[in-house]
Amino acid sequence: MSISRRDFLKLTGLVAASSALASCRPLYELAGHPHLAQWPPLNPADFRALNRLTFGARPGERARVAEIGLQAWVEEQLALDSSDDLACALRLRNLDTLDMSAQQLFDHSNKLFDDFDIQTIPSQLRQGTLLRQVYSKRQLYEVMVEFWSNHFNIATDKGACYYLKTVDDREVIRSHALGSFHNLLWASAHSPAMLTYLDNQANHKGAPNENYARELLELHTLGINGGYTQADVMELARCLTGWSVKEHFWRGEFTFDGEKHDTGEKVVLGAQIRPGGQEEAESVLERLGRHPSTALFITSKLARRFLADDPPASLIQKAAQAFETSKGEIRAVLRVILLDGLPLAREKYRRPVNFVTVALRMLDAESDCGPAIQDYLLRMGQMPFTWPTPDGFPDRSQAWQGNLLPRWQFALALSRNELEKTSVNLTALLSTSGHENPLDMLASLLFGNLPSQTERDALLKAIRSAGASDDELLPILASGLLASPAFQWS
Amino acid sequence: MSLPNKPWLPRLAFTAAQTAPRGDTLVVIFLRGAADVLNMVVPHGESAYYRLRPGLGIPRPDDNRAPSDTRTIDLDGFFGLHPDLCPMLEMWQYKHLALIHACGAPDESRSHFRAMELMERGVDDERGPASGWIGRHLATLHTGNFSPLRAVGLGELPQRSLSGAVPVSALRSIADFHLGNNIRAVHQLRAALNILYADDPVGQETVRMLDLLQKIDPTQSRGSDYSYPETNFGLALRQTALLIQAEIGLEVAAIDLGGWDTHFAQAGIHASLLKDLAAGLAAFYADMAAQMKSLTVVMMSEFGRRAAENGSLGTDHGHGSMMMVLGGHVNGGKVYGQWPGLEKEQLIGPGDLAVTTDYRDVLGELLQKRLNNHAVQEIFPGYAVRSVGVV
Repeated sequence: MSISRRDFLKLTGLVAASSALASCRPLYELAGHPHLAQWPPLNPADFRALNRLTFGARPGERARVAEIGLQAWVEEQLALDSSDDLACALRLRNLDTLDMSAQQLFDHSNKLFDDFDIQTIPSQLRQGTLLRQVYSKRQLYEVMVEFWSNHFNIATDKGACYYLKTVDDREVIRSHALGSFHNLLWASAHSPAMLTYLDNQANHKGAPNENYARELLELHTLGINGGYTQADVMELARCLTGWSVKEHFWRGEFTFDGEKHDTGEKVVLGAQIRPGGQEEAESVLERLGRHPSTALFITSKLARRFLADDPPASLIQKAAQAFETSKGEIRAVLRVILLDGLPLAREKYRRPVNFVTVALRMLDAESDCGPAIQDYLLRMGQMPFTWPTPDGFPDRSQAWQGNLLPRWQFALALSRNELEKTSVNLTALLSTSGHENPLDMLASLLFGNLPSQTERDALLKAIRSAGASDDELLPILASGLLASPAFQWS
Repeated sequence: MSLPNKPWLPRLAFTAAQTAPRGDTLVVIFLRGAADVLNMVVPHGESAYYRLRPGLGIPRPDDNRAPSDTRTIDLDGFFGLHPDLCPMLEMWQYKHLALIHACGAPDESRSHFRAMELMERGVDDERGPASGWIGRHLATLHTGNFSPLRAVGLGELPQRSLSGAVPVSALRSIADFHLGNNIRAVHQLRAALNILYADDPVGQETVRMLDLLQKIDPTQSRGSDYSYPETNFGLALRQTALLIQAEIGLEVAAIDLGGWDTHFAQAGIHASLLKDLAAGLAAFYADMAAQMKSLTVVMMSEFGRRAAENGSLGTDHGHGSMMMVLGGHVNGGKVYGQWPGLEKEQLIGPGDLAVTTDYRDVLGELLQKRLNNHAVQEIFPGYAVRSVGVV
């Protein structure tokens, strides 16, 4: 990936890095903004579970779980729809590209006498995604949107994906995130962004391109050990010849080009495919959606996301059964994984997006989730929609350890209000919390429990010895706790 | 929240089988996405190559129908370099560059993700150790070097090959590796981090890196005289050169260059990647002239691509790949490995270059001869390393 000249010079140290960040704290008043009330105690297992189901547990959510229990809270989340989320929708009102059709997006980026603007659309998509993760009430839905965005990963820097991904995000991922996996798979296979990302628009009769066919089997459905062969990849690629994207009228819409379709006989996964057109690959999609390997592969990945890097096999089996009997109903699978599985959840290392959003939510930050936030995500290694390969961002803890510095930088910048268009009011948090001292307030917010007396003494003594005045105590404690190992794991 | 109340623990010791002085600095470059090596080190003496690649083939060195700057640069009468690798010709002429063709791993899944995972772990299948081959190298050789920069992964995520008992951090930019300009706040945060990370080796590593990297002033180094490409790859090589020149204990650096999965319209994408690769290595080679005697660079990719081009002027996943080794002690100016040929009966699977040299033979030889590590059976379990003779 190329980097801008200014960034290159800065990163190589050839010009001094600018530290003069304008501090901007817009007063952003919104209907329905949750008030910080009491700080209800929550048992540690529920606190961990709630943090898996959200992008960081806000006090209001903790209170609700304490009141109705985790199971009922999951059901509440599964029942929410977009009409329940008006406050969040308000924050998206300036992101005008999120609702555009492919043709409108293309026209929007076409600067006629200038180059195409390939930055604005993906930048709005990232900003919208982060704003929803931080401010949406439909937290479980947003967690699933992130999960499927990774499962059906598309990088916006590949050709026309810079504008097509916005349509894919809305009409594939968000439309089906809690619906039926079969419909999701079907929508993704017909998604111009996916067909472009994996080169299927170049898959022609007599000269197949295997890229999409392989990842459809390996990454989207059966999994690498799911029982397909190189011959299946090649035969499925032939079924998919002609699946393409319109280029002139109705630009960016799906099209099946019969001229480019290979109508010969094919055998995929042991079954003869009757020569036809678009329905050849569609019949394979239906079989893939029903295949037991798909059930096992999808539920393993879900269990890894919600429970642990190596989730219990018995639970995966049970979830895979639910997948098969419900014919791929995502809510039915989630009920097994969450309600049976969450008590068994183990620590996972927070991925960068989670680290940042949890910090913003727990400290009740006001943020535009714009360039200042995204620059940190880039340096931490998880800028949304930029993972180059179709496997999506890694989901094992091991992959993310070993890049602490940008997290520490972010912790300090956020706590000291040095991030552009992002602000926290720690003093106000303290006064509404009911806690007397800052460390108790921050620890109960960020970790769900209070430090022991020895922990408290050791940390305060170290900070005081380093010269922290009373006024400095709150921001330095906040940055220290956000930077701590305990906050990297959840 | 388990705040440790212990004082700073000493750095966690690892058990090393052997003690030896450190050898060369090793730079491992991974071309992610399965580079099309047949268009990098071109078998221009093989007519099957041109039959299989009527659109994508790189013209013969003596093909007068093609403009001279689009032709293969001949190396030995049979193989030649892609013209965009021209900046690497000097290394070849000085015999600092060796090429090992038809080199790769036994895995035939043609899956990027399985192939990279197995190769970076240095294992035959998933049952092998979970750590990476570089991680096991670090853990099995005690060099008396306790620098937090003994090994570093350039970029944002430490490479899979680095994982293991010795903590390894990622580094994108030395100039950017600091906690800011507010001395009071930084001092206080450091005090807090010392307590909070008292028993966390990765955190301690990062704190020590902060201290060590402060000693490097990137603006004062000669390296700015050399024209590194203004890309993430150029940035990574430049940071590596700074670390080597600062002599702060770097033994292994891992660098990625991605984007090689060229299924569609390969020629243009490939050319810009090759320019990035060659310009970066040429700048690094010039910058490192004084250190070349104690430096080894190895370049690899997870597998090669189909011998025949596909219908969209690209190439699909194949098998046999190629490795490059660069350094002052390399027996360079030679293409190593038995060439299996590109005729139909010589290709394997759906029409792919066969593997005649295992990648572990090359890495194992470098580890033994240039890095003083003889525990190759622990590093590549279940595999008997054979000598290739590149160093």
